[in-house]
Amino acid sequence: MRTQLHTAVDESTVRQISEELGEPEWLLETRLEALDALEELDMPDVIRTPGRTWTNLYDLDYESFVDPLNAAEEKDQEGPDEIEVLSIAEAVEQLPDVLEEHFGSVVDPQENYLTALSTALFSTGTVIYVPEEVDAEDVAIRTRMNSSSLFNYTLVVTEKSSSVTILERQSTGDADVEGERYYSGIVEVAAGENSHVQYGALQNLDDDTYNYTLKRADAGTYSTVSFIDGNLGSRLTKTEVSTELNGDGAETKIVGAFFGRDDQHFDLDSKVWHRAEHTTADLVMRGVVDDVARSVYEGVQDVGSMAWDTNSYQRENTLMLSDESEADASPKLIINNHDTEASHSATVGQVDQEDLFYMTSRGVDPKAARDMLVEGFFVPVLEEVEVEELRNDIQELISKRLDE
Amino acid sequence: MSSEDDELQQTNTEERFDFRKEEASAVTSGKGLDEDTIRLISEDKDEPDWMLERRLRALEQYHELPMPDDWPGAPDLSGLDIEEIVPYIRPDVEARDATDDWDDLPEDIQDTFDKLGIPEAEKKALSGVGAQYESEVVYQNMQEQWEEKGVIFCNMDEAVQEHEEIVKEYFMTKCVPPSDNKFAALHGAVWSGGSFVYVPEDVTVQMPVQAYFRMNSEGMGQFEHTLIIAEAGSEVHYIEGCSAPKYAAHNLHSGGVEVFVKEDAHVQYSTVQNWSKNTFNLNTKRAIAEKGGRMEWVSGSMGSKATMLYPSTILKGKGASDNHITIAFAGEGQDIDTGAKVYHNAPNTKSTVESKSISKDGGRTNYRGLVHIADGAENSSTAVECDALMFDNESTSDTMPYMEIEESKVDVAHEATVGKIGDEDVFYLQSRGLDDDDAKQMIVSGFIEPITEELPIEYAVELNRLIELEMEGSLG
Repeated sequence: MRTQLHTAVDESTVRQISEELGEPEWLLETRLEALDALEELDMPDVIRTPGRTWTNLYDLDYESFVDPLNAAEEKDQEGPDEIEVLSIAEAVEQLPDVLEEHFGSVVDPQENYLTALSTALFSTGTVIYVPEEVDAEDVAIRTRMNSSSLFNYTLVVTEKSSSVTILERQSTGDADVEGERYYSGIVEVAAGENSHVQYGALQNLDDDTYNYTLKRADAGTYSTVSFIDGNLGSRLTKTEVSTELNGDGAETKIVGAFFGRDDQHFDLDSKVWHRAEHTTADLVMRGVVDDVARSVYEGVQDVGSMAWDTNSYQRENTLMLSDESEADASPKLIINNHDTEASHSATVGQVDQEDLFYMTSRGVDPKAARDMLVEGFFVPVLEEVEVEELRNDIQELISKRLDE
Repeated sequence: MSSEDDELQQTNTEERFDFRKEEASAVTSGKGLDEDTIRLISEDKDEPDWMLERRLRALEQYHELPMPDDWPGAPDLSGLDIEEIVPYIRPDVEARDATDDWDDLPEDIQDTFDKLGIPEAEKKALSGVGAQYESEVVYQNMQEQWEEKGVIFCNMDEAVQEHEEIVKEYFMTKCVPPSDNKFAALHGAVWSGGSFVYVPEDVTVQMPVQAYFRMNSEGMGQFEHTLIIAEAGSEVHYIEGCSAPKYAAHNLHSGGVEVFVKEDAHVQYSTVQNWSKNTFNLNTKRAIAEKGGRMEWVSGSMGSKATMLYPSTILKGKGASDNHITIAFAGEGQDIDTGAKVYHNAPNTKSTVESKSISKDGGRTNYRGLVHIADGAENSSTAVECDALMFDNESTSDTMPYMEIEESKVDVAHEATVGKIGDEDVFYLQSRGLDDDDAKQMIVSGFIEPITEELPIEYAVELNRLIELEMEGSLG
C-alpha cells in the first residue's frame, strides 16, 4: 500500500484518540498494530475482468480529507432502559469485558487497508449490549457528519434468547466543510444463541463523501440476523454486508436497496458463509441507476463442507433509468457440501415499455407513470423490511429522489 | 436408435481412449521453451519468415504475461511445469503433408484412429475429417462435392503454405492475439497442426466436418490451431474430439480457435473433450460474429486434470447472435473451470448460455462466465442459465458469473441453481427395481437431457456413454 497518510496519521494521533476515549492498553495496542499494518495491507477486493475494474479505490486521495483529530458529528444514540446503548468512552468504562471479548472478533481489524485505517482512527461509535432474554425495540443511532473525515465503530452483542431492532442513519450535517469527505464505518454483530437481531441502516451522506462500510454478523446457534441496507447518498460507496452462519440452525437475511443518480458509484457486496448445519440465507438486492451513475454488485453464497442441510438463495435486480448509467453484477455460488439447495438470479433491464404504455394509455402522464413503476420495482425489497419506520423512510427518500 | 448406434454404445469406451502406442517420432523438439525450440519448429515446417516472427513475438509475450492463478477460485496449475513439456513432436509419417488415405498411415496410427472410430464416422456422417497425432495432422480428407464449391478444409500448416495471404491476415491478429493471455501467447509461439476451414459465400456445408486430436506421448504439449472463416451467408458445423492415454507425467493441451462468422453466416463449433486425467487443458477459443451472423458453441468437458476454457463470442455486427451450451463433468482429482464470454458490441444482439455441471468423488466444477453489453448495444438481450448437480460432500460446485452492462435498453437475466442428487428420486427408481448406480445414471441423463437433445445424435450418444463411464468410476 502507498504511504501517503503519514502527515495526518501517525502514532501520536492514534495515542491521542485512544487517550481521549480513556481506552485500556489492549485497545490502544490493537489500534497501533492496525496502524503498523497499513503499509502491507491491500484495498478491499474489487472485481476485475479483462479490461474493466469494477471499482477503483486506488485513486482516492485520502490525504486530502483524512483528519482524525478534527472529527465532528452530531450523534443520537438511544434505546430502551433494559439494554445498554453506549458511546465508546462509556463502553470502555461500563462494559470493558464485553468490549474486550468482542472487539475485532467478527471483522478482523487487519482484513484490509480500510478496516485497519478505521480501527486505528475511529473516534466515535456505539456499543449495544442486550442481556439474556431481553427483547428490545427502537434502538436508534443517528450520525450527522460535520467534518472532513469520520471513523465510526459499532458493536452489537446479544446474549442468549434476546432480541433487538436497531435503526442506524448516516447523513451529513449542516457544518460548512470544504471539499471531499470520507466516512468509514465498521459494524460488528455478535448474535448469541437463539437471539434475534434486526439491523437496518440508511445511508444518505452528501455527494462529496466517499463511504466505506463493512457490516458483519457472527450468527450463533439458532440465531437470526437480518440486515437491511439502504444506500442513497455519497459519491462513492464501497460496502459489504455479510453474515457468518457459525451456529447450527442460524438464519440470515440481507436485504439491500439503492438508488444512484448523477455520477454516484455504488459497489455493494452481500456475502454469507454457511459454516454450520441447517442454516438458511436469503439475499435480496434491488436498485436503480439514473444519469451517469454506476452500480456494482457482488453477492457470494459460500457453503462450507460441514454445512449440511443448507438453504441459500440470492436475488438481484437492477433497473436502468438512463442511457448513460451502468450496472455490473456478479452473483457467486461456492458450494462445498452437496446437501445444499442453493440458487441465485440476477437481472438488469429498463422500465418495462409495455407497462409504461399501458399506464400512459390510461391517462397517466409518462413521468408519473415511470415514477410509479420505479416505486413498484422497490416493493419486493420494501416488503422484506419489517420495521415500518425504516420502510417509510426508504420509500420517502425514493420518491423524493424521483421528484428531483 | 439404429443398430449402429447400439454398436457404438456397446464399444468399450475406456479401451477406445486409454490405449497407448509406442512413441515413434521423426522430429521432437526436446523439453522446454526457448528461441531455439521455436526456430526448430518453424524450420521443420519450412514456414515463411512472417510466421517465425509472429512465433518469436508470441514467445516474448508469453514470458511477460502472468499465470492466470490469481483469479478467485482459479484451478491449481502448480503441477504444470512448462519447462518439462515437449512442445513439438512430428510423428514418423512418410508423407510430410497429411494423407487422404487411412491406409497410407503407419499401422499403429491407423489402429489408433480405428479404435477411436474416426474412419467409421467419416463414412457415415461427415463431410470431412482431419486427424492429428501428436503435433501434426496425419490425415485430412473432404468429400469432393465440397471441394468443388470452393470449401477449403486442410491442416493449418498446409494452409500457411497454400493460402498464405488469408492466413497472414487472420492468424492470431484480430480474434485471439497472443497478448490475450499467457497460454494464448504460448500457443502462438509453439502452435502446430490444427485445421483451416474456409467456406465461401452462400455455401452450406450440410454434414459436419470433424477434426480429432490425439496425444500419444508422455509429457508432450499439443498446440493445434483452428481457423474457421465462414463467408457471408454460409453455414458450417465443425466438430472436434480430443483424447490421450493416461500417463504419470503431465501433458498440456493449449489449443487456439479463431472463428470468423461473416454477415448472416452460421457456424456451430462442437467439442467433446476427453483428455486423460493427467492433462492440463488451457484453451483460448473465440469467434467474431458480423451483422446477422450466428455462432453456436457446444462443449462437453469430461476429461483433463484441470480445464480452463471460456469460449467467447464478440457480437460485432447488428443482430448477431450467440448460443453457448456447455456440459462439465468433474470426477476424482478433476477441476473443470469452464464457462462462456459474450461481448455485445452492436445493437439487437442476442446471446444465451446454458450450462450444466456435475461434480463427483471430490471433483470440482466452476462456471465462470462474462457477459458484457457495451454502450450503444441497444435492444440486446442475454439469458444465462447454470445448473449444477453434486454427488457427494467431497465435491465442489462453484458459479461465478460476471455481468457488465453499459446500455440501458437491454434485457439481462442470469439464473443458477445447485443441488444434490435427490434421495427421493433415487429411492423411487430403486423401488422400481433399478440398482443405485443405474438410478443415478438415469437421473444424470435426465439432468443433462435438455442439452443432449440439441446435439447431433452421434455426439449425444458419445457423451452419454462417457458420463456412464464416469459414473461407474471406471475411467481414469
